[in-house]
Amino acid sequence: MSISRARCRTVGAALATAAFTVLSCGGEKGLGREGCAGACSSASDFLSSADVQRILAQGSVEAQARGARATLAVVDRVGNVLGSFRMNGADPSFRISSGRAVRGGLEDARFASGDALAAIAKAVTGAFLSSEGNAFSTRTASQIIQENFNPREFSQPSGPLYGVQFSQLPCSDIMRSGSEGMTGPRPSPLGLSADPGGLPLYKEGRLVGGVGVISDGLYALDPDITDIDEDPDELIAVGAARGFMAPGDRRGDRITADGRTFRFVDSEDVKSGAATIPALAAIPGATVAVDGFFSGIIRSGIAFRTPESGFRFDTGTFADLKGVVLVDERNQNRFPPRAGSDGLLTANEVISILRNALMVANRARAQIRRPLGSAAEVTATVVDTAGEVLGLVRTPDAPVFGTDVAAQKARTAGFFSNPQAAAELQTVPRAVYPATGDSVLPGSSVTLMRQFLNDPTALSNGLAYSARAIGNLHRPFFPDGVAGRPPGPFSPPYSNWSPFHVGLQLDLVINAVSGSASGVGCAFLPKIRNGIQIFPGAVPIYRGSQLVGAIGVSGDGVDQDDMIAFLGLANAGVALKTGIANAPRERRADLIEPFGLGTRLRYVQCPQAPFNDSTEHNVCADF
Amino acid sequence: MSAPISRPGPAIRAALSLLVLGSPLARAQNPRPSPSPSPSPSAAPTPPADQIELRRPGRNPAPLVYELPPIDPAQVEPPAPVLPRESLPISDRWRLMENLGIVKQKFSDPYHQNVYKGDKPYKPFRKWGDDVFLNLIGLSDTLVEARRLPIPVGGQSSRRPSALDVFGKGDQLTLAQTVLFGGSIIKGNTTFKPPDYEYRLILAAHLNRTQVDPVRALRVDPHQGFVRYDPHFTLVEAFYDKHRRNVSERYDFDSYRVGLQPLISDFRGFIFQDNALGLRFFGNRQDNRVQYNLGIFRRMEKDTNSGLIDIAQRPRSDDILIANLFRQDTPRPGHTTQVTVIYNWNHEDGKDYYNTNGFLERPAVIGDVRPHGYHAAYLGLNGDGHFGKWNLTSSLYGVVGHDSRHPVAQRSQLILAGFSAVELSRDFDWVRGRLTLIGATGDSDPFDGRATGFDAIQENPQIGGADTGFWIRQAVPLAGGGGVALSGRNGILPSLRSSKDQGQSNFVNPGLMFSGLGADFDVTPQIRAVTNVSAIAFANTSILSVLRNQGAIDRFVGVDTSVAVQYRPLMTQNIVLNVSGAALWPGRSFRLLYDENRRGPQYSVLANVLLSY
Repeated sequence: MSISRARCRTVGAALATAAFTVLSCGGEKGLGREGCAGACSSASDFLSSADVQRILAQGSVEAQARGARATLAVVDRVGNVLGSFRMNGADPSFRISSGRAVRGGLEDARFASGDALAAIAKAVTGAFLSSEGNAFSTRTASQIIQENFNPREFSQPSGPLYGVQFSQLPCSDIMRSGSEGMTGPRPSPLGLSADPGGLPLYKEGRLVGGVGVISDGLYALDPDITDIDEDPDELIAVGAARGFMAPGDRRGDRITADGRTFRFVDSEDVKSGAATIPALAAIPGATVAVDGFFSGIIRSGIAFRTPESGFRFDTGTFADLKGVVLVDERNQNRFPPRAGSDGLLTANEVISILRNALMVANRARAQIRRPLGSAAEVTATVVDTAGEVLGLVRTPDAPVFGTDVAAQKARTAGFFSNPQAAAELQTVPRAVYPATGDSVLPGSSVTLMRQFLNDPTALSNGLAYSARAIGNLHRPFFPDGVAGRPPGPFSPPYSNWSPFHVGLQLDLVINAVSGSASGVGCAFLPKIRNGIQIFPGAVPIYRGSQLVGAIGVSGDGVDQDDMIAFLGLANAGVALKTGIANAPRERRADLIEPFGLGTRLRYVQCPQAPFNDSTEHNVCADF
Repeated sequence: MSAPISRPGPAIRAALSLLVLGSPLARAQNPRPSPSPSPSPSAAPTPPADQIELRRPGRNPAPLVYELPPIDPAQVEPPAPVLPRESLPISDRWRLMENLGIVKQKFSDPYHQNVYKGDKPYKPFRKWGDDVFLNLIGLSDTLVEARRLPIPVGGQSSRRPSALDVFGKGDQLTLAQTVLFGGSIIKGNTTFKPPDYEYRLILAAHLNRTQVDPVRALRVDPHQGFVRYDPHFTLVEAFYDKHRRNVSERYDFDSYRVGLQPLISDFRGFIFQDNALGLRFFGNRQDNRVQYNLGIFRRMEKDTNSGLIDIAQRPRSDDILIANLFRQDTPRPGHTTQVTVIYNWNHEDGKDYYNTNGFLERPAVIGDVRPHGYHAAYLGLNGDGHFGKWNLTSSLYGVVGHDSRHPVAQRSQLILAGFSAVELSRDFDWVRGRLTLIGATGDSDPFDGRATGFDAIQENPQIGGADTGFWIRQAVPLAGGGGVALSGRNGILPSLRSSKDQGQSNFVNPGLMFSGLGADFDVTPQIRAVTNVSAIAFANTSILSVLRNQGAIDRFVGVDTSVAVQYRPLMTQNIVLNVSGAALWPGRSFRLLYDENRRGPQYSVLANVLLSY
């Protein structure tokens, strides 16, 4: 196995070099297995039901070879569950644990017969975080959601996607929950997973879905990434994905953020050979129907960017920019640009903001994609002050997870910048932690915030918060990541913190996640109905000193997300001259320095070497 | 060389006068003196008065012949070469000058037969022998340095509001004061033969204050602000040097030295120059024409901010074996050639190591940041000297080795890289012109199984405007490319290490193409001006593209210009004042990597005062 892998990588590197030359003139189809860079996927690229059966069978054979009993799930790129299979003897229950002996949140939550939910969440994570330009796994997710990046690297800031685990929830209005036959994107039953054992699936360089495996009854994460694990879930997933593995040159371990490569898989030392794969029917076990996710009958996937997938190229406003929009079962744009329900933004302004965001994205140097020199691929969403989506547009190959996250981010920036934030937070019912029955009032974070900032008007004074600034306040250490420092007001102290107990973000949605919710969407409050998001990529929109909405961007590096939102809005303001702009500098959250020197909140951070086509730097400084 | 030397240059003139005067003196002080003032029987027969033989006694077969110029009858006659002399017996030859009243010792004057500088035996040491000397060493180095580098604003916090991008103001100011003090105890006549033994102990006290505009550039915790004071007190050298034996009557010898001692790999410190803990056998042969070193060393841990050894920490798991041979007058007189083999075994593949500022040092923060170790064997051929009026220093190194698991490739790698450097110079009266060419191979595919970027163990290159040029002096962070510097401070190789002093070697790096022109002006015996203009380029930027996830990065770094003025009021090295300024005018590579469009060029300006005793 290792020999063939080495050979494959060498070939991959050579092809990538060749592809790089070709792709600089646009990235056409047909570049082969390593050459896809965002424009390959077509209506003929999807997992057939035979593929799904093969993947499930291969995984089961690997599980057998390891003496394990697994539950596996396969999804397509937009999250449709194509198959879910439980081997005889597999433990149908699982438990959520970070291993940190923390009490609260989802820690120690037990699911009596939820193995398929865990497998689906892991499969969705593999599919949603990836694209033709990057292949990320649940192990990648584990690396980028912890309190430090890299995990356990002393006093480094948190993972760039800190908080992303609480997205793609079934209660989200962006995700399409319900019976089969609906368009995507489909939710994940447990949000995104950081438990190794979820991988993306590729055919000829095209991302066609994901596979997820659970065999150990534990839904966890990897807190120590310096070692090399032999994780049974992951190895079974690797066995399952044989023939559908991500191209070597697109895997996370070829992609860097601040010089650090991402983890893809720790080991590929599978025990099952490449011998004849038995039919799935020959393997002791059965498909598992999951209410709202899977009927129990294995089916083929939906090709990405066909109307049935829920994503297609726009034929209207964004067509010239190759914008992709979300569509419903009638192929109607679900979020066509429109004026704000509060009357504060015009449809034209929404269009201009989104178009400018797309234009910035198309120039932006991607942080998480290969080949090098690719443009960023993102979802951009504008919301009004009520949290209504006024428009949503994507670049063609943006990872699917950003669809939900862009709206979460936009709503977060808009909600916290709104002077009503404090009052509304205080109306949220108690959050009940499933394992312990403990409960907390999310509204208490208002008090904590006011103490923290030593400002009794905080969250009702109209200070403009970006998603990045809220994130700064939502970490177990303030400043972010620095050992020994106190927690931010929205986070539990580090001693009682874990990625499954992060504080306000989870408290707002935990009742919906555990099925005991009341109110609108995930988070009781309509303005943040799919929950808040606490990593960078959104800014509020102002007209003069009046908050009129927010823009959220998700899909590439967080600095890129920040820049596309901030600069897209700024450029739209300059072009339109209708008064819309970023928050006035004297209202931005980066005026706040809660504990003096070195603790200032950050508003946005635009990336180094921001554009592929220029030597400009510090491009946000003028706004 | 049988042709008469008609117009000896200054250096040769000095050597001649030493030889002419020195030969009888040397014989007089031979521990086994000849019974009579007349030449020993083994020496060549006395030459005629007009043909003094300049041959070194020993093996050299072909005697040099010096023909005296025609005697000017207007001058007084020279003394006859061999005449019985009138002399007074003097009990202590070291106090000869003092006894004659010519020289009076002053403690503050390191010259003039000072007992504290090892010129005369030190009386309190008399119990160990009549020829035990004390040599006190004191050195003060005061530095003020202002510079501008690309520095990130600090991800978690910024110094000012509305810091909306990655790069902050890059201005920095460093003040540093180092004091070295200590001394040696030396036994043996130090003038004409190697000492019998030497004990040396040198301590250092250091304080630096660094001010940087962005927070978190200095300490991992941004809350600790933008000014850092860091004192450090340590040992610098501590060794015992033992003269084991003489192997010829011209004092060819074998010695060894054990302890914390300076070690330099070649003439210009391209591979290693530092103090290391170890054992070194050394000596010479063929009348000092051949010198050898054979040593085993363990590298010491460094104090992060002073660059000095930190004896409070365990030595590093990094060992060096070194064997080299110098041969003078090879291939031509005036040029010394050295061959060297250096083997570096780094086994720091265990626990993570954080530096005193809280940043991860080993493994470097690139790639998967998993620990790794490596073996690297350097084979070098170096030269230093002159051919006629042309001075030439040259260096050629190849390195082969094995990296257990490079963090970017995430696999083991074969190390295979090369380095070459040439400095050609020539004096035109009081001006010296210099041409410098340096090449180091770069890595073309960071993910493959071969690491072909050249890196040293711990370089300290003295070339191309070393101390004053921007590229060599400053460590420019590869912002956004991990916790590594593009090139280390006082280093020329862009080896992407966490630091030159504490980091591991990294053979996956962009390599270097450096070409420089320089001129030194000896304006007066006290004032020298040094100027340099260097064009700098990478050999291959693949690894930079990978670490920054950035499309093709140009190779041209830019043009480094520097001017330095050195003032020595006493015309000695005891008081030296340096003032210098350097700027790096960015090429497309730096403009793609850094915010060159938003500020002036990267620069450094420094002043330093060196006082030594």
